[in-house]
This record gives sequence, C-alpha cells and structure tokens, in this order.
Amino acid sequence: MNCRPLCLALLFASGIAHANTVPLADVTLSTDADTLRRGAETVVTVCMNCHSLKYIRYRDLLNIGVDRDDLNLWMGDKDLNAPLLSLTPEDMARASYGKVPPDLSLMTAAREHGGRYVYSLLTGFYTDDDGYTNNHVFPGIVMPDVFGYSFAGTKEDQHQIENNAADVAGFLQWAAEPNAGLRKKIGSAVILYLVILTALLYLWKRRIWKDVDHDTGNTVRES
Amino acid sequence: MESDKPVDGDSGAPLNEDRRDFLETGTKALAAAGIATACWPFIASMNPSSDVKAKAVTTIDLGGLAPGNVETVEWQGKPVFVFHRTDEQIADMRSSQTQIDPEPDEKRVVKPEYLVVVGICTHLGCVPNRSGPDGWLCPCHGSIYDDSGRVIHGPAPKNLAVPPYRFDGERKIILGKA
Amino acid sequence: MNGTMSKRKRLQKWIDLRFPLTRFVKHELTEYPTPRNLNYWWNFGFLAGFMLVMQIATGVFLTMHYKPDAAEAFNSVQHIMRDVNYGWLIRYLHSTGASAFFAVIFIHMARTLYYGSYRAPRELMWWSGQGLLILLMATAFMGYLLPWGQMSYWGAQVITSLFGATPVIGDQIVIWLRGDFSVGDDTLTRFFSLHYLFPFLILMGVVLHLVALHTVKSSNPSGITLHAQDNIPFHPYFTIKDFYGLGLFLIVFCSFVFFMPEFFIEPDNNIPANPLQTPAHIVPEWYFLPFYAILRSIPDKLGGVIAMTLSILIFAAMPFLDRCKVPGGAQYRPIYRVMFYVFIVDVLTLGYIGSQPPGGVLTTVGEFATFIYFASFIILPFTSQWENRLLARKKDLPKEALKLIRDEVEERYGDSAREDMQ
Repeated sequence: MNCRPLCLALLFASGIAHANTVPLADVTLSTDADTLRRGAETVVTVCMNCHSLKYIRYRDLLNIGVDRDDLNLWMGDKDLNAPLLSLTPEDMARASYGKVPPDLSLMTAAREHGGRYVYSLLTGFYTDDDGYTNNHVFPGIVMPDVFGYSFAGTKEDQHQIENNAADVAGFLQWAAEPNAGLRKKIGSAVILYLVILTALLYLWKRRIWKDVDHDTGNTVRES
Repeated sequence: MESDKPVDGDSGAPLNEDRRDFLETGTKALAAAGIATACWPFIASMNPSSDVKAKAVTTIDLGGLAPGNVETVEWQGKPVFVFHRTDEQIADMRSSQTQIDPEPDEKRVVKPEYLVVVGICTHLGCVPNRSGPDGWLCPCHGSIYDDSGRVIHGPAPKNLAVPPYRFDGERKIILGKA
Repeated sequence: MNGTMSKRKRLQKWIDLRFPLTRFVKHELTEYPTPRNLNYWWNFGFLAGFMLVMQIATGVFLTMHYKPDAAEAFNSVQHIMRDVNYGWLIRYLHSTGASAFFAVIFIHMARTLYYGSYRAPRELMWWSGQGLLILLMATAFMGYLLPWGQMSYWGAQVITSLFGATPVIGDQIVIWLRGDFSVGDDTLTRFFSLHYLFPFLILMGVVLHLVALHTVKSSNPSGITLHAQDNIPFHPYFTIKDFYGLGLFLIVFCSFVFFMPEFFIEPDNNIPANPLQTPAHIVPEWYFLPFYAILRSIPDKLGGVIAMTLSILIFAAMPFLDRCKVPGGAQYRPIYRVMFYVFIVDVLTLGYIGSQPPGGVLTTVGEFATFIYFASFIILPFTSQWENRLLARKKDLPKEALKLIRDEVEERYGDSAREDMQ
C-alpha cells in the first residue's frame, strides 16, 4: 500500500479546513524577553482599562522579567495572586459599548493565526468615507482606535504603533500559553531521545531478523 | 530462540558478543530511562499546583485582636489559632512546665504577646475548642492544651504545632514560607 | 524444592503451581506463532493498544484536576494548562492522543480491508473491531464536550439534536439524552461519567478482540494460511518490530504534542461556551468529517441520519458482500485493489467536504462522493464474482501458486467452491 498520496491528501485537506477568510498582515512576531516586558506594560496600563486577562495573575508577570517595582505600581492595593481584571466593571462596559470587551487571556488562541490577528487588528483601524472609525480585520468594530493608527500623522508614528502592536501581540501569545517555551524545550529533548532510541531499536530489529530476512531474501524492503 | 550462541546469518561465524551486548543493554537502558522519565510528569502533576503553592503564605492583620482573645485564620487549608495573650497568661505559661511534651513557652513564640499555633490536635486531627478561660479542649478524645498550646492531658502525644511565621511591623504576621 | 534454582525461578515455579502465568505468557505471547511475512501495516493493532493505555492514563490524571461543571469546566482546563505541574503536557497528550488514536485505527481498518483480513474465519474479529470503533467514536464525542468551549457546546448541540430524527419519540429521546431542553450542565456531567466509563468497555472489547485473534491467528499479506514452519515466535521477532514501530510512531506523535498541539484544537474552542451564540463555522473533529459529510449530503434530516449510521454499520457486511474465493485481499485481485483506492480517495474527499461550509459545487461533489461510498459496497458482490471467473481463467499462474490457492479454497469453502472457480 503506497502511503504517500494518502499522507499528502490528508495534509492538504486539513490545511484547507483551516483556511483564513480575512487577510492578515504577514508579520513575524517575537516572544523574546524584551517584547514580553514591553507588551506587558502596554497591556496592563492601556488595554486593561477595558479588557481583563483573568487567567493571568500579577505573580505570573514576574516570570517574564517584569520589574518588581513596576509591578507594585500596577498592582496598587491588590496582591500578587490577584488576576488581571479590567478597570471597567462589566455593567458599565455594557452601557458604554453595548457589549463587554472580551477577555484577552486566550485571544491569540481563539483566532486563526491569533498573534497576526491581534497585530492586524490594532494596525487595521482606518477612517472611512463617512468619517467613522472602522477596522479592516473586524468591520463594525466597537472598540475605539486606542493606539491611534487611523490618524497617525507621520510614518514614524505609524511605525511606533506597529512596534507597539507587535509587542502586545507577542505578550498575548505568551499569555495564551505561558508554558509554550518550556513545552518546546522539552519537546526538542524528547524528539532527540526518540530518534536515538528508534535508531537503536532499528539496529536491534535488523540483527534479530537477520536470519529470517536472509531466508526470505528480504533486504531493506519487506513485502 | 533455540541456540544460545548467535551466529552471523551469512557467514555462520559467531557474532561478536560485545557488540551484541552493547546494542541490547544500551537500548534497554535508554528505554528504561525514557519510561522512568515519562512517568515523572504524571507523579509531579499530583503535587500542589502553582496556585495552591502561592496560597502557602497568608498575611494576618492583628488590628482587631484584643488581649485575651483568640482568632482562627485559615492557612494552607488548616485552622491556625492566633492568641493575643495578657501579661498574666504569659507569666502563667512561663512559670509552668508540662510532662507529656516538655517545651518552654519562650521557644514557642516570636513575641510573647502572640501565640500562633496550628489548631489541629496532634492525636488524630480534630480541631480543639477554646475551653473556658484557659486552654483548649479537643472534643474528639478529650486532649487538653494550655495557653501555650502545650498538651497537658492526652491522648495527644505532642504539643500543637508552631507554623513558620514572622512579624511584618507591629500589626501584621506573615504566616508560612514562600 | 531444588536448592540450586535461582530465587527468581523458585518464585516462578511457586506461581505456576497456582496460576498459569508462564504457560499463558509462553502460549499467547513469547512462543505465539506468527506469520514470518507480516509487514509494517500489521504494527497498527499494537499501536492502537498503546494509544488506549495512553488515553486512559492521561485521562485519569486529568480527572484529578478537571471540574465537570458548566460554570467551572473551562476554568479547570485553564487551571490544568497553567497551574498544574506538567498539566499542559498531560492535556496535550490527551487531546493529540485522541487524533492519533483515530489515525491508527483508520490505518488498521484500511490494512484489514486491503488484505482481506475481515474474511472467514476472521468475521468476529472484524465485527468486534467495529463495535470497538463505535465505542471509540462515542467516547471521543462525549470527551469533546468536556472542555466546554464554543465548538464543544455547539458540536454536542448539533449531534444530540440528530437523534430527534427518530420517528415518533425523537424529541423525547433528545431531551432524555441531554437531561435538559438544550445541552447544559446535566449533559456535561453525564457525558463526563460515560466518557470515563467507555474506555473500560473498550478495554474489555479489546480482550474479546484478542481472544478471537488468538483463535484464528493473524492473517498475512499473501492471504494464504502459511505452513506451520513458516511461523516464527512472536518474541523476539515481533516484540522488537512492534517497539521499533512504536518508536517511529512516537516521533511523529511527539512532534505534534510538543510543536503543533494547537493543530487539533479548534480556535473557537478557546472561547467559553455561549448558549446564545453559534460560531460562524461548526466543524467536528477531523475523524468525524467523512461521516458528517455523508450526513449533510442527504437533504432530509432522517435520511441523513440513516445514511450516516449506515455508513459506519455497512462495514459489518463486508464478509458477506465479498464473494471472491481467491484468498487474501487486494494483493492478487486487481479489481478489488482499484475499488479500494477509489474508496480511500472517496473517503478523503468526503472528509474535505465535511470540513467546508455547505453550499455551491461542494454539495454536488459531496452527494456524488456519498453515492460512490455506498456504491463501492453494493457492487462488491458482483465485482468479486466477476473476479472469480477472471482469475479462474488465468492459466499463466505457476502450478504451485494454483495448487496453493485451490487447497486454501477447498479448506475454507469446501468442494463446491472449486467448481465455482472452474
């Protein structure tokens, strides 16, 4: 049975199943320490005015290298184990916007190519012909253009906002899965181990099968 | 396999025993190590999770606790008695000695005015109740503890445990170690 | 007792007097006669057993932290992912494991179809396997509700409402299944209970499956029962081969677990279930897609449900539909081989159709693919009879091969079959 067409077809099918309908910016996002720190600051000081990140606690921000003094400032009278909650209570948000701004803890996981989605959304604001603010990624969005991309004056301002958006997207990627770094690290070790072990198992298998394969005239390929 | 000595399929000559051993023992060792390592995450997952470990430290505000009163706080899911002792009670405890688990009162407190002990009877784990003007009485089997948390009547074998704590200024106690 | 025996041997003898341990292990495992020509497609039964153990182990440890309550379920999964030591690993092993389990089972089934291992005397193996497949699908379906994400909720809502197609008592059945008028907390707790139970029913079914296997012994790529001397002991030949295959499998599996775990988790499932808002695009997990496509390709609700059920159950008829007297499967049967590959392509097409929103040219393709799916089974009695006559006319096969085939046929089907082949 030839497996290759099968495997290719499966890959093809699954890829199509996950196809995107909204065009997203082709940006590579980093999750290095500096990005996470800057992103944390922006999210906590700006985004948290309306959004919560209830699955992240202040304590978790220490793990990405946020300065303890900065953190104390952000926490106010809350303690380290408190979750990151929005400054706007839900009923007030509903009154102002008609809906509650979604929690951001899992935002990049809840959208296809989530990091790029967040980046594209933050840099997707524009002013339409009627003078209203709209968004390429989320037409009819209720969220205001918090970073001001739609009225950014100079190329420099735009660039500044794009960097900011990249930091926010990177931070939110971390927030969606704080253990991702550890996962990949352990994964490399596991795959390496398995490759070595499987190679040894193969050699041992060949040795055990040598007389049988010899009799049946099998070399590398068995029927 | 029938024969003990493995032979090379082509030449019929005996296989190199050392080579055979390395491959077999090496593979077995690597596999065993892998299986043991693979078990670890499952065992570790049963240890307290990070949010539980964070609650291992609690802050107690001593503001409202008048002398002579006991407050019960929760720490690591357990009751902890915080007893604001009067000078009389302190003197009493300093001058008395217990037989079952002798221990001077000085050793059981950071500051003599405040006794902090885990409110779990060292017999079988019930929570003793404040007994009249002094001491605690365990309702399960009748153990009695004095105002230093020392056992003065069994069947409890040991004094009430003193948890790790320190003072943060005059009015706050940090209970537990991070 | 013999003083010169080692402690281990003494212990072994003590047990063997009271329990057939050594005899059992020798007869069923170490000395178990296995055809020497099994190829790597025969590794997948072992892999399926491994996946069952892996899913049970990871599942039990997940249950230590999971809260089967509509208000807490989603949060508890995040608690597992973020706070529980290695919780993220156990969760990803379990979620990726479900997909790996189905991949292994589908390949295992494909092997059985290709090589004709469902044919006499292995019908009970085939049917017990089918029962296991249905139990596995039920387990996976109920397990998917547990994270209580948007896709979990709405997938369960859609599939449970299918039972409403049952005539007369349809609506009552749906409410009875859910324990509520729509999927809710009661649905979650009972799905949790059954999701924990079913794998142990599967375990019992696997025992039956293996008992049947050890009665008829493995088939082999040639389809012909080999001479006794062409069997080799399971240990060490197939123990090492199974472990080597496991190594290869784990490399692929771990690549997904550690580097692409989100591949099998729908983004919408990272949004807590909202009973008041359906996601734009409801998709079941990939292993249900072909059956989902068949369901949707019949415009009538009851018709769709019947077609979908039939598409799973029809496999049971294979031993009866296949009339060919030539032993084995596609190896020596060119028509059957073509039908097999057409069927595979058809199932993949249906899978793709199932993943896309309904409408347009895809609907027509889906209907055609559904037709091909069932047609493959329906024409099999006729094509297999045709193959009988074709192969009987083959004079250029070596005498030994002809004799082998005729002996096999006579052994299995009696003298009457020989006449069919003339």
